[in-house]
Amino acid sequence: MMASQKAMLHRVGIALALALLLIMPWLLGSYQLRLFTEAVIFSLYAVSYNMLLGYAGLLSFGHAMFFGWGAFSFAVTLNHFPGIPLMGAVMLAVASTTVMGLVVGVLLLRVKGTPFALLTLAFNALVFAIGIKWHSVTGGDDGLSIATPTLHLGFTDLVVSHGPNLYYFTLLIVGAAIAFAWYFTRTAMGQSVLLIRENEERMRFLGYNTHVSRLILFVLSGALAGLAGSFYAILNSFVSLDAVSIDMTTKVLLMTFIGGTGQFLGPVVGAFFFTYVQNFLSDLTDNWPLIMGALFIAMVLWVPGGLAGLAAKLSSGRKDEDPDGTLAGME
Amino acid sequence: MGEAAVFFLHGLAYAGLLFLVSSGLTLVFGMMNVLNFAHASFYMLGAYFAYSILCFTGNFWLALVISPIILLAIGAFVERFLLRKVHVHGHVHELLLTFGLAYIIQEAVKLLWGTTPMAMPVAGFLAETVNLFGVVYPVYRLFIFCLSALLGLSMALVLFKTRIGIIVRAAVDDSPMVDALGINVPLVFMGVFAVGAALSGFAGVAAGPLLSVFPGMAGSILVDAFVVIVMGGMGSLGGAVLASFIIGELQSFGVLLFPDFSLALIYMLMALVLVLKPEGLFGEKQ
Repeated sequence: MMASQKAMLHRVGIALALALLLIMPWLLGSYQLRLFTEAVIFSLYAVSYNMLLGYAGLLSFGHAMFFGWGAFSFAVTLNHFPGIPLMGAVMLAVASTTVMGLVVGVLLLRVKGTPFALLTLAFNALVFAIGIKWHSVTGGDDGLSIATPTLHLGFTDLVVSHGPNLYYFTLLIVGAAIAFAWYFTRTAMGQSVLLIRENEERMRFLGYNTHVSRLILFVLSGALAGLAGSFYAILNSFVSLDAVSIDMTTKVLLMTFIGGTGQFLGPVVGAFFFTYVQNFLSDLTDNWPLIMGALFIAMVLWVPGGLAGLAAKLSSGRKDEDPDGTLAGME
Repeated sequence: MGEAAVFFLHGLAYAGLLFLVSSGLTLVFGMMNVLNFAHASFYMLGAYFAYSILCFTGNFWLALVISPIILLAIGAFVERFLLRKVHVHGHVHELLLTFGLAYIIQEAVKLLWGTTPMAMPVAGFLAETVNLFGVVYPVYRLFIFCLSALLGLSMALVLFKTRIGIIVRAAVDDSPMVDALGINVPLVFMGVFAVGAALSGFAGVAAGPLLSVFPGMAGSILVDAFVVIVMGGMGSLGGAVLASFIIGELQSFGVLLFPDFSLALIYMLMALVLVLKPEGLFGEKQ
């Protein structure tokens, strides 16, 4: 009885949330809608990051290399192949990020733990250096501005570079990617990555090729971040080196950790929280990163499960069985 | 020939600076298994403190002594009241904590000292040049190299020839056993972390007059120091010496020979070491 009621409530909640997402353009002004769209894009970025941190237990300090690579490949594709359909450019950007993730992953996944964390940072710095030096392609410090083509739907062409159309386009594609990430963590392959984190030796005895599983997750996580990056480019009609900078890596780390690494939706909560709090604080003071950093340290010290962990703890009314907040997908 | 000698000396000076930063980093990592992301931020703080001391007193030597002492206190505080608290949650949380600290220090520095780069002039014989086998070279760069050589030697002496060094090395190998022998291991940890912070503060003071003082100085040396300790083998002092030398010279000659690829050269070398010997030149197999 209780269980079926709970499941019912769950379904009603999801339906309500979806309906709310669909009517957002009527509820929000154009500035607020743009902010909301940005939060949706960052949600995917954070979800992709949490696949590494929460699910595989791999702490990366270089996720912006995928985000930025996706954004720049998208912009470069648009600028160098005039007349390419929008989805074609997006797919090319994701494909190029996938290849890059494969190359980087093969090199980086040779090490684990702290050396891995540190090498991801070094590779992020390398990709950033390429961005600055390769001026003829990336525009260097000037960045690249893009004109987003219309979306061909067969019967009509939609302008999706701004406003409600951009919001619905983002919601559809980015939302589908988030849903796919969720689905992936439920598959046997996604679950095996969890088990590898818990006991790699045992998984190897059971016959799993743990290197390949980890590499697949790493590449998928990079590809999703690349998708988020190309939507970030559409949103701003511009790509700057900021997209591939260490700051962008820091951003996703703060979002994911503040939101909570223990639940799938934690990073989404974190992305929305970060986007809105940053927007609020930056109106008040130029030193908002200081407040954000202090908040982050406070979370690390006292609320390691993040906001989502805190919410789960409060709603269930019992002690969290996962106080370190790293057992994603094991609920 | 003269030009090559100058670039070799440039490389040596930068290698000295890199060693000053990475020795503390690798010491703390070898000891506590904590990679301190805030290490380069301590280095930056050291430079800024030195700048302020120099503004008030005009005495560089005073700055070279006082700034590391302040960093020693900050390091002890961070270990005792922050790092030790998250130790139970595991390494990921320790890394995240130091990362958050680096972020905060970065912003605090911008708030307190502004974002404009500031020159840190030295006076006296340090500001002069010297004729070295026919090459006129600034004394200060040689001074940095001598400083790091002196510091490296004394670190080796303390670690390998004194009782304190024995305790520290023993605590690295088997801290429960050292604890059982009646030595206050948490205190040793705190001491090592504080000394690491002081070392990076010292490096910061030394770097100030050479590179000037600016909020990006932490980020620019952090990645290089990481490359040094990955290449040298994490936790190895000897590895840090060799890797600092290689990176310093590569950086210097890279700028001379391939100005566009000097950055990429370092990463390519690192990737090569990683493929051939993932544990680093002097590292132990995990």
